[in-house]
Amino acid sequence: MSGTIAIARNTVREVVRQKMVLVLALFGVGLLAASQVLSPLALGEGQKVVTDFGLAGSSMLATLLAVVLGSTLLHKELERRTIYAVMAKPIRRSDFLLGKFLGLWVTAAALVAGMTAMVLALLAAVYGESAWLLLGSLALTVVELGVITAIVVFYSAFTTPALTALFTAATIVAGHFADDLLYFASQGAPPVLARTTEAIYWLLPHMAVFNARGQVVHGIPVEPERLAFAGAYGLLYIVALLVAAGVIFERREFR
Amino acid sequence: MSTIRDIAGSQGHTTITGRSLHAVPAVPLLELDRLGKTYRDPMTLKPFTAVRDVSLELLRGEIFGLLGPNGAGKTTTIKMILGLARPTSGRVLLDGREPSDPASRRRLGYLPENPCFYDHLTPIEFLDLSGALFGIPAQVRRSRANELLERLGLASHAKKPLRKFSKGMTQRVGLAQALINEPTLLVLDEPMSGLDPVGRSEVKALLREQRSRGVTVLMSSHVLAETESICNRVAIMDAGTILEVGEVPALLGSGVREWEISLDRIPDAVAAAFRAAGHAMEAIGSRSLVRIVDGPALQTALKVLVEAGVFVHSVEPRRETLEEHFVKVLGLGKRERVAS
Repeated sequence: MSGTIAIARNTVREVVRQKMVLVLALFGVGLLAASQVLSPLALGEGQKVVTDFGLAGSSMLATLLAVVLGSTLLHKELERRTIYAVMAKPIRRSDFLLGKFLGLWVTAAALVAGMTAMVLALLAAVYGESAWLLLGSLALTVVELGVITAIVVFYSAFTTPALTALFTAATIVAGHFADDLLYFASQGAPPVLARTTEAIYWLLPHMAVFNARGQVVHGIPVEPERLAFAGAYGLLYIVALLVAAGVIFERREFR
Repeated sequence: MSTIRDIAGSQGHTTITGRSLHAVPAVPLLELDRLGKTYRDPMTLKPFTAVRDVSLELLRGEIFGLLGPNGAGKTTTIKMILGLARPTSGRVLLDGREPSDPASRRRLGYLPENPCFYDHLTPIEFLDLSGALFGIPAQVRRSRANELLERLGLASHAKKPLRKFSKGMTQRVGLAQALINEPTLLVLDEPMSGLDPVGRSEVKALLREQRSRGVTVLMSSHVLAETESICNRVAIMDAGTILEVGEVPALLGSGVREWEISLDRIPDAVAAAFRAAGHAMEAIGSRSLVRIVDGPALQTALKVLVEAGVFVHSVEPRRETLEEHFVKVLGLGKRERVAS
């Protein structure tokens, strides 16, 4: 386990020391400032605009970080052969992947948590509102980022950075429309197509489960049952993806 | 299949038990048994054999050189030892364990060929990461990292990012990370590459120091003169196979190949006589070199030179160097392959 933690710490360092994180963080601050500028146009609903912009923006930026940086992390190790010196140490390849996953997830989660903290501070300072119910949405977004990071790690275990980014984006988008797939399957599709569609429905990550942003913007808190269900579902999905990635990566040849 | 020549390798050690003297086989630290690796082109699926039938045993406390031209299969062999590539035939045992077992690498240090490390880290951070991967406690790895940076002349660069390091400095960092766990087996892929003469001399001293501590070293190298002076045994590889393996003096033989006489400019009459006797001659600046292949001819030549009043600066015996032997063995290997 100490090896996995060491890899995770190194991944955090690697990601944080890239300029892109700074650019994303500044962009996030800019987004919040813009929401504050636009809030007078919202006819008394200023805090909703700030919350909406803040939560959606932070989730989008953290997803961008996980996908863009995640898709190149493993490939860079193989291309520059930095992985050789690491894998010559007493560490399993699956532990290495787990470390990469944890490092990337922690960094993306820190970015989204930082931006949520800024939204909370802004709401408290400008509107005198203590919007603690945003924390429920934050928890779900953190799990969502874990699922997204696991998808990135899974694809990067066997394909190129460009394909990893493309496949991950496609999986996330399809995951948002998973329920629609089931609906189409039930609308008189041929049995083979219906069963295939149903299988894809179960395989896709149900991203809607993690999205409570619209709900908290309107002041409705996230129910504990939903948090527990989304947490368990997300964790199961992450474990399944990492096990599959580990099996693939274990068989990969370093040429 | 080519013939492997095993020249007087000492495959055992001697122990004295009571009054009797026994030669008992030493337990190898690293064992390669008929190791082979065939890659397939991902597009055409055409097979390419990088390593075939490589068998070797490394004993504790020796420096073993794996020599061969580019594409000989040295790096692929090393990758299989480390578990970075899976053998398609044969097996590797590292201290009795398969390389797929992470525990087999617990006391192993590895320096990759043309090393490239995390350029966002400083040497001290990188050594800390390397130590953490071995499960070394934070305090111990910090003190070892400082000692190694001092030993390798990098102490003043400890907090400089690795991306700013020259090739030679990166090579030193690579050696430091290979030594962080106090290994019993060091696997070094081209350790002299990128180093200046001073650096090479320091690395040689470091390797000798490790050997005196009982560390076994497996190194691949192109720098044959350096290899000759530090390796106990060498294996010469080409086209994926081992052509010859043995102790360096036994491979080279102890006999003198020729004598080289260095003298003042040689008179024309003497030069003509030497040429007629079949001696090679070469003019270097104001001096001449005469190369004579057998002892009696040397005696005669020296007598002629003294009688002619030529000043002889030196007479030096020349033995075969590892480089000359290497080229000869590779030539033989190629001829064998063509013949078969």
